[in-house]
Amino acid sequence: MKTFADVHIGDTLGPVHQFVSKDQCRKYANSAGLPAARFTDDDGARKEGLPGMILPGNMSLGLLSKLVTDWIGADGGARMIRLSTTYRVPVQPDHTLTLQGFITHATEAERTAEIDVWIENEEAERLVTGTATVQFDR
Amino acid sequence: MALNYDPNLIGKVFETTDAVEVKAERVQSFCETLGETNPLYAEGKVAPPAYAVTFRNGRHFFQHVPRFGRAGFDAGKDVEFVRPIRAGDKITLSSHVKEIYEKTGRTGTMVFVVVRSTLINQDGQEVAHIDHRFMSRT
Repeated sequence: MKTFADVHIGDTLGPVHQFVSKDQCRKYANSAGLPAARFTDDDGARKEGLPGMILPGNMSLGLLSKLVTDWIGADGGARMIRLSTTYRVPVQPDHTLTLQGFITHATEAERTAEIDVWIENEEAERLVTGTATVQFDR
Repeated sequence: MALNYDPNLIGKVFETTDAVEVKAERVQSFCETLGETNPLYAEGKVAPPAYAVTFRNGRHFFQHVPRFGRAGFDAGKDVEFVRPIRAGDKITLSSHVKEIYEKTGRTGTMVFVVVRSTLINQDGQEVAHIDHRFMSRT
């Protein structure tokens, strides 16, 4: 079980390399009630001026959420209480994404850790950035 | 340039959705699309935190939200996870326009509309607060 004593500023989460297929993107979009063309169909996405299908922002949020909850682990001991994301550049499927995090703050009184999180493409361009807050049990 | 909208709509709740029951099968399906294998979530009894963003406003909500310029994009989210969502929970969502502001960057002027959604379970407990940032170019 992860505890607050395990938290050190500068510790990293990942990198996790994850290939996201178009099929996976479609499945997420349909599962999450977002069946818009931009998330499910290349031609439909191009008609909206996009280079092709893109991941729903919520899917990027889901991938970053998973990065943090995987770091917390299955044994509990902590809980993510906040996650903020900024979608800087559309994330395209059929690419290998790299998910990473970096602990920037730890607050003893609240037993919280602040973690910068982000998604990069193969060119190390940051497509999605965010901040997560994890609170540890007492 | 001053933005043209009725300031009285800030903070006004236009509708609250009907309760949606959280089904374990739907949580499992959501987990599969993100590659989630943590048994805490993958078994479907407890939803991963990111499941909170799958609850949608009613189709009439956005009739009340002012539009600016060209088609809007999801620019990001700030999510506060108050308590876990579990299979069997019945979740309602109520939303209001929290804030409207303008930013000018290298690529021109953008208008951000922030919609705050609050998720409430069958016991009247707050489950999550989600600030959705929608961006339009003017």
